[in-house]
Amino acid sequence: MAYTDQLLSVGMSTLLIVCTLGIYQFFALMQSKVKAIWLNPLLFSIIVISAGVIYLKMPFKEYFGHTQLLTSLIEPAVVALGFPLYQHLNTIKRQLSTLLLLFTLGVFIVISVSMILTVWLIAIPEVAVSLSLKSVTTPIALSLADALNGNASITAFAIILAGFFGAMFGPAWLNFINVRSAEAQGSAIGAASHSLGTATINKISYQHSAYGSLALILSAIITAIVSPFLIPFMFYCLS
Amino acid sequence: MKDVIYSILAIAGCVLIGKFIAYTLGGLPSSLYGLICFTLLLHFKVLSADKIKSSIEWIMKNMIVCFVPAGVGIIEHFDLIKQHGFAIVFIIFITTFLLITVIGVLFELKIRRQNSTQTTENLSE
Repeated sequence: MAYTDQLLSVGMSTLLIVCTLGIYQFFALMQSKVKAIWLNPLLFSIIVISAGVIYLKMPFKEYFGHTQLLTSLIEPAVVALGFPLYQHLNTIKRQLSTLLLLFTLGVFIVISVSMILTVWLIAIPEVAVSLSLKSVTTPIALSLADALNGNASITAFAIILAGFFGAMFGPAWLNFINVRSAEAQGSAIGAASHSLGTATINKISYQHSAYGSLALILSAIITAIVSPFLIPFMFYCLS
Repeated sequence: MKDVIYSILAIAGCVLIGKFIAYTLGGLPSSLYGLICFTLLLHFKVLSADKIKSSIEWIMKNMIVCFVPAGVGIIEHFDLIKQHGFAIVFIIFITTFLLITVIGVLFELKIRRQNSTQTTENLSE
């Protein structure tokens, strides 16, 4: 009995993972055919799969449990980001202090502004923590969210939105405000829109992807160091 | 095919080292330690970058699908979205663009200043 249950569960996992991959690939193909930026495969997959999961009356925990394999691949994917970092290590060495200063400033600004706005507009501490972590790459943000009493799935959603906005409008906005160098564009989008933004600007140039992953990595490290102090401090100031 | 297996082992090794460091030292999340370890091993040529390169390109192209299950988690928070959805999207939108603008503009100014000092140096030479 237990054996058939296990077999069923494995079958279900396989089915759900294949469906998720298939739906994502379908939208990825559509996007490369239609070449429209708004046709973001991630966003559309989430909408279609959410609708399916609700229609089947499947609890989210069940879907998430069965597709755990995909979620656990985020960690090796983050490790893989070390490759572009390695390729541009020498360029970066010269600018390290500038970049550290810049991203530290960015982390302070983004955490304090989103804390102030969230406490003011929504007034739910859990949501305030979750939203302030939205520029950090998912696996790191999720472990920070747990440690700082945020909510993991709100954090995940906020991360995707931040990534989506940056990936979709970031390059056009930067061109519009006359920020045109690959270094500045890559850093800005990597710092604000983490691996999602970086994965999107990879296609523009290698320089973009190098600075993007550098920004995402340094910002994540800085956030991991700063947020355990800054977030409680902001709560203290705002209460 | 050999290169793919090499890449998988290299990345898996770094994930494990990252977990070990996070477990013993704490502080940063394990994937960050793994990333730093991967960079250093490549930099000091312990790992061969040539063998890994094409696998990395494939990972970069396809990694976004890993975010889908976490994103579907939003269906658990319809009440929150109904009540505060607009404010949440507004806050994320504003702060994301604020950050993009601040970092983009400051870095661009710095690069331009560097370039102009470099040109004057070149001219004086």
